[in-house]
Amino acid sequence: MSTSLYPLASLPQIEKTPSREDGIPGDLEEDLRAYGCKLIHEAGILLKQKQVAVATAQILFQRFWFATSMKQFGIGDIGMGALYLASKLEECPVRIRDLVNVYDLLLQRKAHIRAQAVASSLASTSSSTPSWSELKYTPMSYFGNTFYDLKEAVVVAEMQILKRLGFNLTVVLPYNTLVNYLRVLGLTSREDVCTKAWGYLNDAPSVEARLQTPVYALYSVPTIVCAAILLTTRHLGIALPSAPENCWWELFDAEWEDLSSVCGWIMRLYRERSLEDHTRVMGMVAKKGVRQWLEEHRSVGGEVR
Amino acid sequence: MSDGAGPSTPSRKRSRWDIDEENDQLEQPQPQPVKRRSKTKSTKTSPAPEQAQHPAATHTELQRTSTVHKRPPHSVFVPPRTLHPPLMPSRSVYCYERLNSIEEGSYGVVFRARDKVTGDIVALKKLKLDEEKNGFPITALREINSLMVCKHENVVGIREVVVGDTLTQVFIVMDFIEHDLKTLLTTMPAPFLQSEVKTLMLQLLSAVAHCHERWILHRDLKTSNLLMNNRGTIKVADFGLARRYGDPVGVGGLTQLVVTLWYRAPEILLGATKYSTAIDMWSVGCIFAELLLKEPLFLAKGEIELLSMIFKLLGPPTPHSWPEYQTLPLAKSISLPPPQLPQLRQKFPHITAAGVDLMSRLLTYDPEMRISAVDALKHPYFSESPLPKHPDLFSSFPSAAAGEKRRKPYESPSAPVRAADHKLLTDFDP
Repeated sequence: MSTSLYPLASLPQIEKTPSREDGIPGDLEEDLRAYGCKLIHEAGILLKQKQVAVATAQILFQRFWFATSMKQFGIGDIGMGALYLASKLEECPVRIRDLVNVYDLLLQRKAHIRAQAVASSLASTSSSTPSWSELKYTPMSYFGNTFYDLKEAVVVAEMQILKRLGFNLTVVLPYNTLVNYLRVLGLTSREDVCTKAWGYLNDAPSVEARLQTPVYALYSVPTIVCAAILLTTRHLGIALPSAPENCWWELFDAEWEDLSSVCGWIMRLYRERSLEDHTRVMGMVAKKGVRQWLEEHRSVGGEVR
Repeated sequence: MSDGAGPSTPSRKRSRWDIDEENDQLEQPQPQPVKRRSKTKSTKTSPAPEQAQHPAATHTELQRTSTVHKRPPHSVFVPPRTLHPPLMPSRSVYCYERLNSIEEGSYGVVFRARDKVTGDIVALKKLKLDEEKNGFPITALREINSLMVCKHENVVGIREVVVGDTLTQVFIVMDFIEHDLKTLLTTMPAPFLQSEVKTLMLQLLSAVAHCHERWILHRDLKTSNLLMNNRGTIKVADFGLARRYGDPVGVGGLTQLVVTLWYRAPEILLGATKYSTAIDMWSVGCIFAELLLKEPLFLAKGEIELLSMIFKLLGPPTPHSWPEYQTLPLAKSISLPPPQLPQLRQKFPHITAAGVDLMSRLLTYDPEMRISAVDALKHPYFSESPLPKHPDLFSSFPSAAAGEKRRKPYESPSAPVRAADHKLLTDFDP
């Protein structure tokens, strides 16, 4: 499989993503991408879907936003479509109804948390972190319009992903490459190294596995795997030959600039975020939220200019 | 991936016929990886028939890549980032001009069309999406993915997937190939020569080996799915039933509704739910026989009749020839005929002992024992006289798919009956 060439975003696509073209700032796009991936991951867990399908879905999702603006499609719909499509690709299809129900539950939870957060910020009692434990979830009716609308959204999103990615759905996952590289470096005996590196591949803060950054649409798998190993070994204080002429990553055809860029993408996920930043994205799962945000900020921006 | 089993046939052939060129290539540093990479690239970008301008393209491509990447010698497995395709949306179907329709099947219609920019003649396969309740059909996804993963000299080349005005119009754009082997066999006046059969078999086997190496089962190999151009090259087509398989096989269950009846392996007939690459090899055996006989090996009308024909030709399975026979779901409902010797020798009186040996290894009951595509490529049958004929020496035929009229030198007597028969039977296809 290693000889199959998976598509990567081109330089113009990276320099100016369609969303940024539409006036969505880079950090907001980054947050929305990460949030969409998180939803895919959580839906995957609820659906008991295989990790390969979830990871494939997240990579397709990330690629999609190099071809399309978030003003045109919502991260929720495209996330559903990506998971639905990836499940077929990995030969473990899910039922549309299950997918729709799971997303509905997740989004209701998020709405609940957001409402709580808003309420607590108004009351300025930030002692309790918002949770969905008190949420009373009401499932949608079996033949209701909500279901048919969401089902239609899944089918449309799937088709849009296919069309906008030119039906090239070749995805190469990094996991076996990681195992091989760790073996070459003689690090497989260190369980902490394996776990941590695996986590960095998924950008996981220990518990939740997710591929939240766009790096899989930007760099080749060997580079990403090397970055995960670099972060791990630096973090755990393991010395590997890193002086010029003798750099271990050159063994795997990775370049230093690319490595540091991938590490930057990953580490940016771990930066301190305000509660406001967290709740902001929850209101923009649909394109309506994004458009509304753009409206509000365009007027402000216009005044400033 | 390192053994290079995929393109072995073409390169071997080239070495025999174009000696100078092979020497040239050997002088270049690390010829193997660069050659393969540039091959995939040139098939994708160069629209002209590859056979004709291939050597030149490979050569210039080779020089360019070798000068650029002299600095750090890249591993074959880590191609430079620039070789990865960009994220490109599907183009519109209006980039092509429709010429004539080639055939229509359960999957959709195939048109011949011309690329409006380059003038290339291509085949457009329209997918049927109208009655889909579950989004884009998984079978179409498998077909597109298999074609993209299995790019090979002897697999029909997928160029792109284009879309029409609405979301229900999706077309797969493939290289146009003049003939299919089925029509060719029924209309050609004399069967293929031994040397020609060997060339075709080598091509077929290298394509099948390539697919299997990439974890793809074709599941519908038959002569009507083998296309042939006028330069003696066959291309495996119609991956509509193809799917990925894993190790262990059959996790999640595989359907038994695969492979056109005449080419269906006995383990599927007997209801096995876990089957693997061996089912394709059985089909290859049936195709091998069909190339020699000029008509299908097992012209059965139903599954029971097919089984009895197989038992008659090969002798009924014994605990020795097929230990797992009794464990198959449908084995108990079938009463075996009295033991009898295989009739392969009598059926094919004109081929050598090596030929019969290859046939019996392809038509082996026990899927575990059936020969693999990689092993079959090394079979002595291909290295004994007469040697495989070079593809360029094949004669050309008028193409029915391109709407060319054939002159009728003399009537081929049995064709109409068989053609009707065939149509009747393919109607059973899932």
